[in-house]
Amino acid sequence: MKISVNVGRRATRRTAPRTAPCTAHRAAHYTVHRTANLLAPWSALVLLLLGVAVPVAAQKEAPPPAGPPVSFALPAKSELTLPNGMAVTLVQYGSLPKVDVALVVRAGNINESARQVSLADVMGDLMQQGTKTRSAEQLAREAASMGGSLDVSAGMDQTYIGGSVLSEFAPKMTALVADVARNPAFPDSELQRIKDNHLRQLAVTMTQPQPLALQKFRAVLYPDHPYGRVFPTAEMVKSFTIGDVRRFYEANFGAGRAHLYVVGRFDSTAVMSAIRDAFGGWERGRPAQMAAPRPRSARAVYLIDRPDAPQSTLLIGLPVAGPTSPDFVPLLVTDALLGGSFASRITSNIREQKGYTYSPYSTVSTRYHDAYWAEEADVTTKFTGPSIKEILGEVDRLRGAAPSGPELAGIQNYLAGTFVLQNSTRSGIINQLSFINLQDLPDSYLTGWVQRVRGVTPAQVQQTTKKYLDPSRMTIVVVGDEKVVGDQVKEFGKMVK
Amino acid sequence: MLVCLAALAAAPPGALAQEKIDFPVIYDTLPNGLKVVLSPDSSAPIVTVAVYYHIGFRIEPRDRTGFAHLFEHLMFQGSKNLGKMEFVKLIQANGGILNGSTRFDFTNYFEIVPSNTLRTMLWAEADRMRGLDITQDNLTNQQGVVKNEVRVNVLNQPYGGFPWLDMPQAANTNWYNAHNFYGDLADIDAATLEDAKSFFHQYYSPNNAVLVVVGDFDPAQAKQWVQEYFAGIPSAERPPMPDLTEPRQTVEKRVTKKDPLAPRPALAVAYHMPERGTPEYYAMGVIDQILLQGKDSRLYQALVQRRGLTGDVSGGINLLGNMYDYEGPMLWMASLIHDQNVSADSILAVMDSVIAPLRSAPVDQAALDRALVKMRSDLYDTLGGMFGFGRADLLASFALFDGDPARINRIEDQLRAVTPDLIRKTAQEYLRPTNRTVLIVEPGAPASATDSTGTSHSNNGRGS
Repeated sequence: MKISVNVGRRATRRTAPRTAPCTAHRAAHYTVHRTANLLAPWSALVLLLLGVAVPVAAQKEAPPPAGPPVSFALPAKSELTLPNGMAVTLVQYGSLPKVDVALVVRAGNINESARQVSLADVMGDLMQQGTKTRSAEQLAREAASMGGSLDVSAGMDQTYIGGSVLSEFAPKMTALVADVARNPAFPDSELQRIKDNHLRQLAVTMTQPQPLALQKFRAVLYPDHPYGRVFPTAEMVKSFTIGDVRRFYEANFGAGRAHLYVVGRFDSTAVMSAIRDAFGGWERGRPAQMAAPRPRSARAVYLIDRPDAPQSTLLIGLPVAGPTSPDFVPLLVTDALLGGSFASRITSNIREQKGYTYSPYSTVSTRYHDAYWAEEADVTTKFTGPSIKEILGEVDRLRGAAPSGPELAGIQNYLAGTFVLQNSTRSGIINQLSFINLQDLPDSYLTGWVQRVRGVTPAQVQQTTKKYLDPSRMTIVVVGDEKVVGDQVKEFGKMVK
Repeated sequence: MLVCLAALAAAPPGALAQEKIDFPVIYDTLPNGLKVVLSPDSSAPIVTVAVYYHIGFRIEPRDRTGFAHLFEHLMFQGSKNLGKMEFVKLIQANGGILNGSTRFDFTNYFEIVPSNTLRTMLWAEADRMRGLDITQDNLTNQQGVVKNEVRVNVLNQPYGGFPWLDMPQAANTNWYNAHNFYGDLADIDAATLEDAKSFFHQYYSPNNAVLVVVGDFDPAQAKQWVQEYFAGIPSAERPPMPDLTEPRQTVEKRVTKKDPLAPRPALAVAYHMPERGTPEYYAMGVIDQILLQGKDSRLYQALVQRRGLTGDVSGGINLLGNMYDYEGPMLWMASLIHDQNVSADSILAVMDSVIAPLRSAPVDQAALDRALVKMRSDLYDTLGGMFGFGRADLLASFALFDGDPARINRIEDQLRAVTPDLIRKTAQEYLRPTNRTVLIVEPGAPASATDSTGTSHSNNGRGS
C-alpha cells in the first residue's frame, strides 16, 4: 500500500507507514473522489455486481467466469432536523459492536481571511483543551473509557468533531461531542503550546516535497480564495490570539450549520434522546457563507528547487466541472481510466512500462461546488522531462481517440465494485453522506450513481477529456533538483518562479 | 459474525453491553501442505481472498537486502496464464481492489472483490502459486519501481526511515532482525532472474502458505474450488528457518542519525518485547494502551498535554502491522519530533517518570479497566478493518505461525487475564532502561557521504 503522505494542511503525524513495502497502490482510492452514496428511500437501490473474465492469448487457460450477479442494497438511514436547524442522520450498519458519532459543521479554512490561514485548525485543537465543565484530560479519559477518542479536525469547508466508540456508549459519546462543540473553554493558557505545535508541524511540512507542490498548485489555481492558501506563514501562526479564536468560533459555529451522523450498531431510541438533550438547546448561529471560487489555469511550469533531490514531485492539472455538474460522473469515469486506478493508462505507462515512479495517481479533487483534476507522481530525477511528456501524451491520446468498449467496461465494473466498498465501513458511509450534504446534492445523485457510471459511453470519455483536460491549459508544478531538471522541464511551458 | 448478531438489530435499550466475538473458522490442510481458512460473513456481498507466504524480509538472502520485497512486486509481473498487467486488470474489471505487502515474517497478496467473483480470484491466486513467467524486462522495470518506492518513502522525505526502518537496525543484534529490509539500492540492482527463480522455488510452495477467504460465500462450494485449483500444485522442501532469536539486552543503546532534510530533532525509544503468545506479551499490549495509545495515555499526558514538549507521541507494537500479525522478535516503540531548545535527555527523563512507576507498583484497577476497553475497541477495528481483510490478516497469521486460526476468538480472554501484578512483573523485565534503545535524529548533513541510502547510522550499521 502506498505509504500515505498527508498533503492537507496538517503536517504529517509521525507514524510509521502502515504497510511498508508494498506493491500495488492505494487501496483507499475510493475515499478520494468521495463520490458519495447512500440513498433516500434507502431500500430503493439494488446494485448488481457483474463479473468479467478478461480474454487472454491462445494456448493459455482462461479465467473461470464469475457467478451470477449479486445484489447490493444500501443500508437504511433515518433523518430529521431539530427545531434549531441541526440535521441528524442515523444509520444502523455493521457486524461489530462499534459506532461512529460525527458532528460535521460548515466551518473551516474557507472562513479564514488571508491573514488568518490555519486559524480553523488552531481553533479545532483548542476545542480539545477543555469545556466549561471538563478539562482536556477529563475529555480524553472519558472518550478512552468508551473505547475511543474524541477528535476535532478542520478541513477546507467543514470541521469534524467526533470519534468511534463501543456500541454501548453511543448516547454518552453523543453528549461528549455536544459538550465540545457547544461549550469550548478556549483556555488562553493552552494557546502558546498549540501554536508551538503548529509551528513545529509547519516546519516539517515545509521540508516535504508533496505539500510544497500542493501549496504552489493551489495558489496558482485559486489566487484570491481560501482554497489557494494551504499553509500559513510562521508569522501568521504566531499572531493568533485567543480573541481571534473566540471570534472565529462565534462567527462560524452553530446548530444551523451542523449535521450529526451516528453510524454503526447502537440503540436508536437512547441515541435520539441523547441528541435532543445535548443539542436541542444549541443556538442556531449565523448562516454559512460559502464564497464560490473562480479557479484558473494556464500552461506554465512552476519549478521549486529541491537541491540534490533523488526524485521530482510532479503535480499537473487544471480546474474541471464540480460535483453538481452533469459532467462530473463522466469526469470520474474518465479519471479512473486515465490515471485514477492501478490499471489506468498513465500508471501502466510511467510505472509498469517505464519504471519512472512508484505511486502515480490522478484524482478529481473536490471542495464546495468546485473541483480540479490533477496527476501526482514522484519520479526519478533524470526522468522528470520524459515523465511529464508521457503524462501529457496519455491525456492527448485519450483526447484523440475513444477508449475501446472492453477497456471502458473494465473501469465501469471497477467503479461499481468499489462503490460497494465505499458503503461498507462506518467512516465511509459518513464520508459519502457529508459529501452530498456539503454539495447540496439530492439523494438521487446517489441512487443513480452506478447507473450513470455504466451509462458513460466511449465517445463520452473522449469528449469529456477534450472538454476539460486540455494540456495547453495545464498548470505544471515540479519540486526537484533545479540544476538537473531545469533543462528537462523548460520545453513544457513558460517557466515561472 | 457476532454472537447474537441477528438479535442485535432489534436489541432493546440496554442490551448492547459486553458482547464477545465468535467468528466462524473452518480450517483444513490440503495433502500438498496448503493451509486453508474459511470464515463466512454475509454482512456485505464481498469476499476477501488472501494468500500469505511464510517468507518475510527477515530471512531474505544476506547479499540481497530488500529482495523479499522486490520479489513481492514480481508476483504481479506474469504467471503461466496471466501476462504482465493482466492480473491487475482481471481484478479491477471484476470490481475489486488488490494489493500485497512484505513484512517481518510473511509476504501477503490479497483481493477484495464482489462475492460472485470468488472462483475467478481463487483461480488467479493458484495460477501464480503454480509458477511465474517473468522476463528480464519485467525485472528491470520493477527494480526501477522499487527504487522509486524507497526514494518516495525514505530518501526524499524528512525522517524518511525514522523510526520504522532505523530502529530495528539499531535495537537488534541478529542480522536477520537488524538489516535494512527496504534494501540497499545497489542490492536491489544486483538481483537477477535466477535469484527470483530460486527464491520462488524455495519459499512460494503451497506447504509454505495459507489461503484465507473471508466474506459472503458458501464454504462447501469454496472448498470444491480450492480443491480444483490448488490441490494439484506440488509441494517443495523449504529451507530450514534460521535462528531469529535476539539475546537479552543488558545495556541501554544510543544511536544518533543525522538527517539533512529534518528541520527539528526527533527521538524514538524501543524495548524488546516478551515472546509472542506469553502472558507477558498480552500484558505488554495492555501496557502499550496505558502508556501510549490515545490522548488519555500517560506518555501523551506527560509529554504533550502537560509539558508541550511535542505535539504528538506515537508508536506501538509492530509498526508495520499490529501486535498480532508477526512471529519473531519484536519491539515496542514510541517516537516524537521536538524543538531544538529541548534536549533528548530531558524528554527521556519525562518518559522515565511515567514508565518507572509501572515497574514499582501495580496499576490501579481503573487504569487497567480503561486500557482493556480501549484494547477491545481496537481489536474490533483490527478485525473489522478493510472490508474483512483485517480478519483475514489475523486468521492467516495464526494459521501460519500457530496452526490455530481460531485463536482470533480467544484474544479477548487472554487480554482479560492480565492483572495489575502481571503488568508490574512484565514492566520490571521489559521496561528496564537496559532493555532500551534510544534513537536520536539530529538535523544536518551526515558526517560521511558514503551512505547510499541515507538510512543507516554512524555507529550501528545495517548488516552488522
